[in-house]
Amino acid sequence: MWDTIIINPMTNLLLWIYDILGHGPHMFGLAIILFTILIKVITWPLNASQVKGAQAMQELQNDKEWQEIQKKYAKDKERIAQEQMRIYKERGINPFASCLPTLIQFPIIIGLYQSITHALSVTPFDMLKLARAIYPFQNVEGIIPLNSTFLWMDLGRPESVQILGFALPTLAVVVALTTYVQSKLTMPTSTNPNDQSAQMTGMMSIYMPLLLGWFALNFASGIAVYFITSNLLGIIQYAATGRANWSNLLPGGNKKSSTKK
Amino acid sequence: MNTKRLILISLIALSALILSACSGQAVSNNWHGLAADAERAYLSNGSFVYAVDLKTAKEVWRYPEEANSKLLYYATPVLTPDGQLLIGSAGTSHPFVSLDPATGKEKWVESFTKGKGAWLASPLVWNETIYIPNTDGFLYTLDMNGKEIADPIELGGALWSAPSTDGTLLYVTSLDHHLHIIDPAKGSVVTEPIDLGGAAPSSPAVGTDGVYVGSFASTVEFVQANNKHEVIATTENWIWGSPVVDSETLYYADLNGKVYSLDLATGSQNWDVVQPDGPVVASLLIVGDQIYVATEAGTLVALDREGKTVWEKTVGGKIYTTPVLSGDLILVAPYQADFVLAAYDADGKQAWTFVPEK
Repeated sequence: MWDTIIINPMTNLLLWIYDILGHGPHMFGLAIILFTILIKVITWPLNASQVKGAQAMQELQNDKEWQEIQKKYAKDKERIAQEQMRIYKERGINPFASCLPTLIQFPIIIGLYQSITHALSVTPFDMLKLARAIYPFQNVEGIIPLNSTFLWMDLGRPESVQILGFALPTLAVVVALTTYVQSKLTMPTSTNPNDQSAQMTGMMSIYMPLLLGWFALNFASGIAVYFITSNLLGIIQYAATGRANWSNLLPGGNKKSSTKK
Repeated sequence: MNTKRLILISLIALSALILSACSGQAVSNNWHGLAADAERAYLSNGSFVYAVDLKTAKEVWRYPEEANSKLLYYATPVLTPDGQLLIGSAGTSHPFVSLDPATGKEKWVESFTKGKGAWLASPLVWNETIYIPNTDGFLYTLDMNGKEIADPIELGGALWSAPSTDGTLLYVTSLDHHLHIIDPAKGSVVTEPIDLGGAAPSSPAVGTDGVYVGSFASTVEFVQANNKHEVIATTENWIWGSPVVDSETLYYADLNGKVYSLDLATGSQNWDVVQPDGPVVASLLIVGDQIYVATEAGTLVALDREGKTVWEKTVGGKIYTTPVLSGDLILVAPYQADFVLAAYDADGKQAWTFVPEK
């Protein structure tokens, strides 16, 4: 089921792009980049709803009525929850709107990771499975096996660069850095000290770079190419809307600045 | 720690676990390699290489004694004339080892710490020299004591199958769609690589005037030492196993499960349609007047020279490993079955099965 719905279409899409590009050296890396752009375009409406949802939630945290309710029923959590649901309903806020794109990212990441290893087929058994997964319209004889070289990397293996005898995981560092920058830019400012969602976002901006950096460090570098491309596109997309909070990148910037609207 | 924070950390940990579970850094999954001498079968089965007594079906030894997550064995082990059993690891570490076939003790180990790829191919032992193709695209040359005696020859593409020799030159297939012809005396390729039109995962079959190579281009190519080559047959689907030359006939099979018998003198097929119950990945085994076909459906079929079924046995699992003859027994190593090795006599009667002890 997972293979039919996620892995096989992704693998075929990757192979199709790779074939169009000419299936030479570096082309599988380019195929991953183009694939990521395509995913970003497809999930654009979801990302837009995430931004909208996050903004609505943020505005609620700074809303006087909500802050008064929090003070008034500070000792009655059940009542606060009831009031929160009422405000959500009245203002048409979907509390899950900001979570959905993030949740959708996970099957894509896992599917892409499996598609990359699937497409690169390092064993005869993997190759046989790949042969069965490829759709009939593909020029499969011509493109198999894939050339996994991209710049200095083997996309099927974790990346590192040898400098003075040390294996430096440059891609993992770039993944962590771009994830951090993206999450900081998209992090809205809260004036409410009890704002739990702001605390959560703050935590995410620390944990996610570490998590994705760890993935890039340990898994096929093809997935790191996806992370970096995705992060850069996210930054560009957010900057293009004029909502990027650049001051958040500076120490203490979160406290000093206010969210652009 | 509040509930939301706990949920967040749990989600992150879970996603890390999920991705960890589908890690593909090492070559972690493949079918078995099988070889045999008069006394024992040798089965490479992932973490271990097993020696199995052919009379008792008992494990004689296993190598290594304890599983090591960095070492995996899938290549077909090779017995040498001077009493060695050779195999390389396809794990994240890539030592190439020589074992004593009687005891499973190491005779020597070439660590190949600089070797980048896994050993999925068997070596060719010829003229007291070991030629081993690697998935890094290089052909390595060792003496019989495991010492590298020449610079590796870069061929390109992953090398999955043992070289073949016509007594003068070496023929090495590559997944980069090429057949490479090498002069071992010079340690270099003789001619430009021959484009087969598709990846070639198996060894060429040596005939009287040249070699026969099957490929994912669904063709059989006849290649001569002087670089002349031509497609002599086409199939419906990929050819995975090596073709087999027997006198004036070439036998081969494809992933559609069709088995072919080509008269090399006339270039015509000897029979119309012979198609057992599943795709054929393993090479065919010819013993006397019978042709043994192992299918992905887990069936072992004995055909006569006319292509008629003599007997058919359900082994179980999926059979990708080429069956091996030892004495009167046909040995079969099914994948994803209840046992890893089974022995059949020439009439198709199962003699025994082997399941490794944990």
